[in-house]
Amino acid sequence: MSSPGRATIAIALLGALGLLAALAWTIPAHAQARFFEGKTIRIIVGFSAGGGFDTYSRAIGRHLSRHIPGNPAIIVENMPGAASLIAANQVYRVAKPDGLTIVNFHGNQVIGQLLGREGIDFDVRKFQWVGVPMRDSTVCALTRASGITSLDQWMAAKTPVKLGGIGPGDTTHDVARVLQTALGLPIQLVRGYKGTADIRLAAEAGEVAGGCWQWESVKSTWRKALEAGDITIVLQIASKPLPDLPNVPLASKLARTEEARQLINAGIIVPTAMSRLYALPPGTPADRVQLLRTAFRETLRDSEFKADAARAKLDVDPIGGEELEHLVQELFKLDSAIVMKLKGVLR
Amino acid sequence: MLIGIAIGFFVGILPGLGGPTTLALMLPFIFKMTPVEAFAFLLGMAAVTNTTGDITSILFGIPGEPTTASTIVDGHPMAKNGEAGRALGAAIMSSLFGAVFGAFVLALAIPVVRPLVLTFGSPEFFMLALLGITFVASLSGEALLKGLVAGCLGLWFATIGLDPVSGIQRYTFGQLFLWDGVGLVPVTIGFFAIPEVIDLAVQGSSIAKLDVGRLGGVWQGVRDTFTHWLLVLRCSAIGTFVAIIPGMGAATTQWLAYAHAVQSSPNRERFGRGAVEGVLGPGAANNSTLGGSLVTTIAFGVPASVTMAILMGAFLIQGLVPGPSMLMPAPKGHLAVTFSMVWTIVISNIITVAFCFLFLRQLVRITQVRGALLIPFILMLIAVGAFAEKNVFEDVLVVLAFGVLGWVMARLGWPRPALLLGLVLGPLAENKLFLSTDNYGLGWLVRPGVLILFAVIVGGLLAPFVSEARRRARSPAAAAVEQEARRQRELRGLQFDGTTAFSALIVVLFGWALWQSRHFGVRAGLFPWAVGFPGLALGIVQFARDFTGHRSGAAPESVGDAGPDVPPDVARRRSIEICAWIAGFWVAFWLLGFSLATLVMTLLYLKLAARERWVLSILLCVFSVAFVYGLFEKALGVPFPPGQLFVWLGMDVGL
Repeated sequence: MSSPGRATIAIALLGALGLLAALAWTIPAHAQARFFEGKTIRIIVGFSAGGGFDTYSRAIGRHLSRHIPGNPAIIVENMPGAASLIAANQVYRVAKPDGLTIVNFHGNQVIGQLLGREGIDFDVRKFQWVGVPMRDSTVCALTRASGITSLDQWMAAKTPVKLGGIGPGDTTHDVARVLQTALGLPIQLVRGYKGTADIRLAAEAGEVAGGCWQWESVKSTWRKALEAGDITIVLQIASKPLPDLPNVPLASKLARTEEARQLINAGIIVPTAMSRLYALPPGTPADRVQLLRTAFRETLRDSEFKADAARAKLDVDPIGGEELEHLVQELFKLDSAIVMKLKGVLR
Repeated sequence: MLIGIAIGFFVGILPGLGGPTTLALMLPFIFKMTPVEAFAFLLGMAAVTNTTGDITSILFGIPGEPTTASTIVDGHPMAKNGEAGRALGAAIMSSLFGAVFGAFVLALAIPVVRPLVLTFGSPEFFMLALLGITFVASLSGEALLKGLVAGCLGLWFATIGLDPVSGIQRYTFGQLFLWDGVGLVPVTIGFFAIPEVIDLAVQGSSIAKLDVGRLGGVWQGVRDTFTHWLLVLRCSAIGTFVAIIPGMGAATTQWLAYAHAVQSSPNRERFGRGAVEGVLGPGAANNSTLGGSLVTTIAFGVPASVTMAILMGAFLIQGLVPGPSMLMPAPKGHLAVTFSMVWTIVISNIITVAFCFLFLRQLVRITQVRGALLIPFILMLIAVGAFAEKNVFEDVLVVLAFGVLGWVMARLGWPRPALLLGLVLGPLAENKLFLSTDNYGLGWLVRPGVLILFAVIVGGLLAPFVSEARRRARSPAAAAVEQEARRQRELRGLQFDGTTAFSALIVVLFGWALWQSRHFGVRAGLFPWAVGFPGLALGIVQFARDFTGHRSGAAPESVGDAGPDVPPDVARRRSIEICAWIAGFWVAFWLLGFSLATLVMTLLYLKLAARERWVLSILLCVFSVAFVYGLFEKALGVPFPPGQLFVWLGMDVGL
């Protein structure tokens, strides 16, 4: 036997190995395909039909199936109540961890656990994270009638500037409180408005000067006032300047101390970035978690999904499952002094 | 638009499934439509749910929509008196009237609404809510004291839940589903429908006890609309203008309109027993509300109700930004779209009304079907309707609790509408009071708008006394008769029976509520205190009156009176039986899940209680199950929980 024969054997061996490897690699995928085939995945939204969370979930639900082997049916259900706590608790405790139940709840519940808020029946660290479709950031918008069109004017204001807020645990409230403490901004927070629409109306009627909440929402629902210059974006609270707000001051840049910077980061930036959480109940098999993470990521890149999202005016700036897991873990590594401070501020 | 109307038509009839849910589900379909098409589709759907919801309210006593609950109070007694046709005719015609009115206000008010609403701050909104609460008095009819206590009770129920500002849990017993307060849908369904079921079983007859000129009544109802055109017009105006205020939807306006109908009528005692004005008022108001709500949505982008919030989502999808530009002509604005909305409301209502009239004959016949055949079906609708709003099983229990409360109140002559009005307006009043104080200190008390509204409230409260005094002065004979009657009532001795027990229970409830609220702090506690102390005081007075036999006349409702045809002992036996059956249905829903429970319990009820023939029983059974499983679970995707029994047995049931 000469060398060509040996080579043939080697090639054949290699080929066989490759085939085996390919087989080994595809078996789980096949198994998964068989698992999801003919099944139904339910996305349980913690808010009522027609809201922002629901709109994202339904848009994702329409396209997710194509990216999962076996093309399961996807249905979106609403389980509103207690700022999505009911849905999160229910899925954590009752849902089977088989990858067929995805829950969509509010990222504020993550910080809620850290702060020891009531009604949380889960350990948020045990959820299996699928991802977030849109990394939200917040801004502060003030009316022209308030007389404040820049951060300097705000800093120098003699009387505290009245901001409209909803209540503890809500962005409108938490952002204002953290800014008040971390940056020393003169703020009088008026709480009890029913929603950002209510605050907008109160601002237009001159009852309050404005408020701080998601740029997403300000941009779409307050666009005309923004274009007409009736309101000004005075401050943005994001990890880096938002693409459409290059010249608005960044809150974390203004923080003078490390503590202030950490308060802004843990109290505002991280929770708002992960507002629109998608998660699986604890104990879901790792391969299925991985598969759904990938499917989620690919759905958000899908051109048909993007077209749908564009029509529904849904911005897309995803956070993957791995990054989300990391963000949650980082929050739980926070210095206990900062956590105590946040507890005091956000109460 | 026609598709939208068709969908809205059925959704309106089904209890629990409200317009908002459907709108949200249909939103994806508008991606490929032009703005005018999209709004024709959505508004067509939204516009008709209030009309068809009235139908369910009148025929079964179950609110088809939370916004049509007030139609029950007089509409359902009319159906019982054999006047279902007339009630439906009146409801549908006044709905059309209200809708058209609302649409035209939408068209006309648009230019002036912006400055008008902007002069309204939280203080004015608070005063308006207060004004609404004073309507409790006119909803109480002859039993003013009971009405006030019921109103307080409603306001107290409104405080249940997480106080949004302080984050303190009020009366939630640690139950998450109570954080957002008790839901209006399960409360109204339980409050009205369960007493009706009990009543139906006790009567042992069909819904209509009398048989008065069946369909001829429809035209009678239409004629009623025109006879009382001024009332219909006023109620339409109430619906539209109140709805312009953000936070006031048809769930509120209907009661205000009903209260107004009662208040303005010369003989109030007819109300609750089937007065056609009681149908006309809310019928007009809940439809005219749509126009009013649209005004705020279009002019400010501030959704006045859930339906409007979803419509606003649709605006954004279509690339329209609500606001002043909606009022400008084509190159700069979208006035054409706005006007197309006006026409959609008008046209879709006309189509619905025409359609309704075509089918009225069949609908009215339902009231002549034997009650026993309807009971299982109605019970199923109650439970499904309560569940489907939020997909929470606890709401099905809330229905039951309020069903019991509603039945007791109806039996003992307590006015139920007063409680509901309190429940609807309570949160608004509390919220706006704190916003006023936070924004303006005490200065808000002297704002001109507040003072004007205060004068209106005082005037409204005093007016009945003045007219009463005048009436007495005019007819001393009547006053003498009344005095005589009063003296006779006073002759009764000390009494301790169901009536007294219930009053005592209310006193205990208020006492307990106040005791619980001692840790709330001013912010979360002020409102429960403001409601609890008067409630306690009035409750004690009522208790004392009941105990000593000083009983006032019956409230303007007579549900639950057995009537002359049924002897008391039979009535008692039947009451106990039906209560046991209701409990059985509920246990079955819990243990077996909705579909299976419907199957088993419908069959059991029809065979054991109603002793129907096998063929009919099975046929009805199949129909009910097809309804629950086919329509709700499969077609509409309502996620019913699995039966608890199967969970215990460890069977594969998913979530």
